[in-house]
Amino acid sequence: MNRTLLVAKRDYLAAVRSKPFLFGLILAPILGCSGFLVIGLMKVKPDLQPRRIAIVDRTGVSFSAIAEAAKEKNAKEMFDKKSGTQLTPRYDFETVAPDDADPNAQRLQLSDRVRRHEIFAFLDIGRDALRPPKSKDDGEEKVPESSRVDYFSNAGAIDQTRAWISGPVSDGLRRVRLAQLGVDPSRFADALAPATVQNMSLIRRDEATGRIEKAHKSSETETFMVPFALVMLLMMIVLASAGPMLGGVAEDKMQRVYEMLLASATPFELIMGKVAAAVALSLTSSVLYLAGGLVVLSAMAQMGLAPLTLLPWFVIYLVADVMVLCGLGAALGAACASPNDAQHLAMLLFMPVLLPAFLLMVVMQQPNGALALATSFFPPFTPMLMLARQALPGGVPAWQPWVGLIGVLLWTFATTWAAARIFRVGILMQGKTASYSDLFRWAIRG
Amino acid sequence: MDAIEISGVTKTFGELAAVDDLSLTVSEGSVYGFIGPNGSGKTTTMRMIVNIFYPDRGSIRVFGQDLRAGRSPHVGYLPEERGLYRRMEVRALLEFHGELRGGRNVTAEVNQWLARLDLAHSAKQRVDTLSKGMSQKVQFIAAVVPEPKLLILDEPFTGLDPLSVDTIRAAILELRRRGATVILSTHDMSVAESMCDSILMIYRGRKVLDGTLEAIQGQYGNDTIRVSAAGGVDGLPGVEKVRDLGQVQELRMARGCDPQEVLRALVARTRVSGFSIAKPSLHDIFVRIAGQEAAEEREARHE
Repeated sequence: MNRTLLVAKRDYLAAVRSKPFLFGLILAPILGCSGFLVIGLMKVKPDLQPRRIAIVDRTGVSFSAIAEAAKEKNAKEMFDKKSGTQLTPRYDFETVAPDDADPNAQRLQLSDRVRRHEIFAFLDIGRDALRPPKSKDDGEEKVPESSRVDYFSNAGAIDQTRAWISGPVSDGLRRVRLAQLGVDPSRFADALAPATVQNMSLIRRDEATGRIEKAHKSSETETFMVPFALVMLLMMIVLASAGPMLGGVAEDKMQRVYEMLLASATPFELIMGKVAAAVALSLTSSVLYLAGGLVVLSAMAQMGLAPLTLLPWFVIYLVADVMVLCGLGAALGAACASPNDAQHLAMLLFMPVLLPAFLLMVVMQQPNGALALATSFFPPFTPMLMLARQALPGGVPAWQPWVGLIGVLLWTFATTWAAARIFRVGILMQGKTASYSDLFRWAIRG
Repeated sequence: MDAIEISGVTKTFGELAAVDDLSLTVSEGSVYGFIGPNGSGKTTTMRMIVNIFYPDRGSIRVFGQDLRAGRSPHVGYLPEERGLYRRMEVRALLEFHGELRGGRNVTAEVNQWLARLDLAHSAKQRVDTLSKGMSQKVQFIAAVVPEPKLLILDEPFTGLDPLSVDTIRAAILELRRRGATVILSTHDMSVAESMCDSILMIYRGRKVLDGTLEAIQGQYGNDTIRVSAAGGVDGLPGVEKVRDLGQVQELRMARGCDPQEVLRALVARTRVSGFSIAKPSLHDIFVRIAGQEAAEEREARHE
């Protein structure tokens, strides 16, 4: 058997028979989906404790309108209409007479009540809140304190109550303004009724029949979950396949395994064998996860959501990403002199996967923006970001993935070549940690 | 035909010349010993022969071929720094190493060697459960399966108990009898004296001795007296250096010194139970070249 294949076979079998691989296969998707699971759990078991909110109304006329709007929202949203199950907590309000002589002392007093859990939060409605300031021409807009509605709580930045109460506060203030303009209170509901903006898919012509298909409501699952899940799956498999490479090579180097192997196989054959094993490992995981995903979608009668046309691209990007990361992982592992070195270098290794993950939301919000375009053509980021853009409704022009692929292939070749050179020099070096300049020199000079 | 021809090879690491303009030939079917102090360039030379390192200058030919392009299935190598995949089973590991070098199935040979080195019962054991001696035997098997035409052993006896030393020594000599060429490095001069047809000494990257034991000793003549005496032997006329081996003292005579004069002076001083004139041992030659005295002489010459 070819030496590269022999090394690949040994490494692959050693990996798939190991407990970490089997645990990782099960745990990785659980950890990956843990955020969604928590959100789901919160929906199943929401916090339904009543929440009392104090309002300091410095306009003198807004409290009852806000309380009324909140009461209507309570009635509308608190219970599921069919089952009668309570969905949100009940919000109660109390009015606090404003102390204009020392407003800060009053705020401190109310803050202490929040700390003592007597109230959940309090609102301070500015004296001029009914007369919002006009926008300035230079675009800079700083709302003065007297025109603001300040919300005080210790619930943190992501506060469900603040989001809930924004609607009734705005509605209440608008009602007062409308009343001051002389509008009949019975027309308030019509005047303030929100418009429904429905997200729809683009319309297509059926190629078989020539008919124009009806538009359908595009769901969050289709526009967000599918592309997001596909990219996360790619990232997860790449990290799971390439992650152990650095530590594994470093450990074997410290166990002095390689000198004997290097007498039988060239460094290039060794590193390519290791990379091939990792690619095979990633494909094994992919087949299992994708097959599992398709079975679930089929069981849910949602096969239409499966991005089948993207699967070849998924595989190509996966193989390229795993090759790059494994090559670099082996090279960095060869440069390590201790387990600590491996830990320090791990962050450097994962950068090509972690950085595009940070950019993912921006790219998904504006898939054809300049940032999304530029970053998806940057070869280390192409596999994740181009895939995300391809998976979004509307996709990308047909030429873009192919041009991106050329960059990815060149990048893969260059990194693997450099990695093999670093590996050859570093693998027999003991007791000295290579510096970044050493790595660069080895890659260039061999 | 020569198994190895090394011609004008130099290898440097940064400013250090690990091997400096080294030339040597190793005859096919011989046992060739590398001796020299730590850091003298033995391991670097061996690594260049098996193509792990490339020489900066000069050429290395193995069985007439330049191996720079790849690896030979006929060259077995046991490195000084032992290391094996710890989580693999012994037989699977040996089959992997054998197939990697030879490119063919080696199960039968592996079984044969496991039985020969008394490891058959450990074939299914994981490497990390073996004792150090057993691991070294396993690594030796990995170097000799499939049977090599050239076997390179870097410190093959280090850390082995006497029984294991005898077993490995017998295996090496049998491979030689079957036609293999063996290069081994050792710090044990008695091993070099007893096993090697030719000996090379490298010191600070340069060749300082090369030839049969007899030829090397011949360069120094019969300048050594081995004495067993009841009293001290220091301060005898014409004696340059005394090496006390416990039961025997080794005296090195100055050039032109008459051993009869030494014997007369010794008998006059103490009771002598043994006296023989001999060639210097390899150990003594090693010390003369690499020892403190030689370093002082070199320094004096430089000054």
